[in-house]
Amino acid sequence: MLHTTKVPVADMAAGTGDPAYLSVEKVSKAYGATRVVETLDFAVERGELVSLLGPSGCGKTTLLRLISGLIGADAGRIVVGGRDITKLPAHKRNVSVVFQNYALFPHLNVSENVAFGLKARGIAPSEIPSAVENALALVRMSDFAGRPVGALSGGQQQRVAVARALVVEPDLLLLDEPFSALDRKLRETMQVELKSLLKTKGMTAVFVTHDQEEALSVSNRVAVMNGGRIEQYADPVTLYTRPASAFVLDFVGLSTHLAGTVTAAGEGWITVDTSYGELTCPGHFTKGAKVLVGVRPERISVGATPADGMTVLSAPVADVMHLGSKTHVYAVPTGDDRLVAELSASDEIRVAAGTTATFSWPAEATLLYPAEATP
Amino acid sequence: MSAATEAAQAPPEMRWRVDPFVLLAAPGLLYLAILFALPLALLLLQSFRDADGHFSIAGYIEFFSDPINLAVTWRTFRVAALSTLLCLVLAYPTAFALARARGFVQSFILVAMILPLSVGVIVKAFSWSIVLRSDGIVNSALVFLGIVDQPIRLLFTETALIVGSANVFLPFMVLPIYAVVRQIDPSLSAAAATLGAGPFFRFFRVIVPLTLPGVIAGVAFVFSLAISMYVIPSLIVGERHATLSMLIARSYLFFRDAQLGSTISAILLLIAIAVVLGSSLLLRRFEGTRV
Ligand SMILES: Nc1ncnc2c1ncn2[C@@H]1O[C@H](COP(=O)(O)OP(=O)(O)O)[C@@H](O)[C@H]1O
Ligand SMILES: [Mg+2]
Repeated sequence: MLHTTKVPVADMAAGTGDPAYLSVEKVSKAYGATRVVETLDFAVERGELVSLLGPSGCGKTTLLRLISGLIGADAGRIVVGGRDITKLPAHKRNVSVVFQNYALFPHLNVSENVAFGLKARGIAPSEIPSAVENALALVRMSDFAGRPVGALSGGQQQRVAVARALVVEPDLLLLDEPFSALDRKLRETMQVELKSLLKTKGMTAVFVTHDQEEALSVSNRVAVMNGGRIEQYADPVTLYTRPASAFVLDFVGLSTHLAGTVTAAGEGWITVDTSYGELTCPGHFTKGAKVLVGVRPERISVGATPADGMTVLSAPVADVMHLGSKTHVYAVPTGDDRLVAELSASDEIRVAAGTTATFSWPAEATLLYPAEATP
Repeated sequence: MSAATEAAQAPPEMRWRVDPFVLLAAPGLLYLAILFALPLALLLLQSFRDADGHFSIAGYIEFFSDPINLAVTWRTFRVAALSTLLCLVLAYPTAFALARARGFVQSFILVAMILPLSVGVIVKAFSWSIVLRSDGIVNSALVFLGIVDQPIRLLFTETALIVGSANVFLPFMVLPIYAVVRQIDPSLSAAAATLGAGPFFRFFRVIVPLTLPGVIAGVAFVFSLAISMYVIPSLIVGERHATLSMLIARSYLFFRDAQLGSTISAILLLIAIAVVLGSSLLLRRFEGTRV
């Protein structure tokens, strides 16, 4: 930690780039015997929008509930802007949440929903109407101020939920899969809108999603969560090119995925036996180790004569999928293993389904992970 | 041109249309019309007729000129209102407990609510008299503990009537409130909390308004039942604290005065309608202002 002395909140507000505005430190949460969040560390800088990406059930919502105070942590510490909020109830944390189902109050109309937080905080009644108007204008919902929320479309409800969460000027905004109920087109529009809105406000925010494309397009940093832990926390390029675990390799982007056994281990080189044959690549495993081999598809060439230093496999082609700007070539899968190459439009396609082709890639593009302990 | 062909030639949107689903309610409505609305209308008509069948409001004049009748009317209203209030106070938290409970506990509370309905009111009222009479369990306990020197009067008091009737009507308050409470999305309270609302604010500005429809239904049920109850007051308080229903019965059965009987019935009905409509308007108004 850089700051060992206590810094007053006002000083931190000056924003001299304190590295962790939100800091979740070794937080755990279990329901009975189920450990949903496991000694998790997570930090967000001031003004940053970060995505929390993970499959359904990995503990994303639970982590948001821990940060917002809707549930208490079993262990660990949560700090926002230098303020330890671990023991505070939700209504004293000043952390706003946009819920997955929006959770708009059905007995209140649009502007009353937005005004709710201001009234709850005892803001002077004279200041409320203008604050509500501004918030609604921000999400382009001014024309709907008097409407009952039940009469709004999903996208409109979403906007009201965002306005309601922002109008109270929270220290931190948490969004739990806010666009998951919207159709694709609207979702993309909303992503762009939200991103620029949060940027204008300088809001620090955590955006939860199970959709990797959404995570990558919304934020500059993505925390990939699995089984109650954060497996990797990095920018999209790093996540894609250097996944920290087999889980990240599979969850983020398309990848070749081959289980294998190390048959020979040399000075920084290993040979791995896979269901498509043996391959040699840089690596530091001992002979006999079970490994998982991954390669990002655009690194793989198909049907080309491999140059020196390339790793090569040959496999029967199952399918050639033309996707417009790119083409995917799938080898016939064997068990859980798959081999897939992505060719760009300019590449010459020299293979067809049913033939056997050579798949080759620069040896250093090979990603290696110890195989999961479970069979 | 006949009316029928005219109707047939009218543009379709002019034709009187019946939503087919409304027809599903037809048997029920017909049943109510024949066995409820029609006899009631006849009854009201009768309240404006003297013994010779001429129009007269003598029944009303007679009723309101007797201060005892006014006292009975006021007592009937008071008992019904307090009984409804007591039900509401007991039922509101019970409905939340019921909605929150799971599995066995929930079944247990539900059965505990509904089973007593199957024990007839008469049986219940008699069993109370065993508990409440001067040599009953409660008085014995009070005397034994030295809280009172002499057995006190529990039976034949208005309090006993209110407490007893609330006991009978409790399920009619719990069930409609429970039905709305279980529909309330738990994330609404969570959302309110993250917006800075403490427990009190959340309860009064989110939970209470959302339970209002159930409260209105419960109040309407219980008040209607309580203002027209006959068996319970007959058995618990007897003639000492007569209610309107008892007056009605007496007019018909003892005095054979159908006009007076139907007059009191009309008054009773009017109070019930006024309170049920009034309370629902009041509550909706409260909801509408959204303070
Ligand atoms: N209140 C609870 N009681 C018991 N288990 C829960 C509770 N809330 C969540 N869980 C469990 O915790 C895990 C993570 O849930 P959640 O945080 O909602 O996942 P996500 O939002 O990533 O889909 C799930 O396996 C879920 O069943
Ligand atoms: Mg979730």
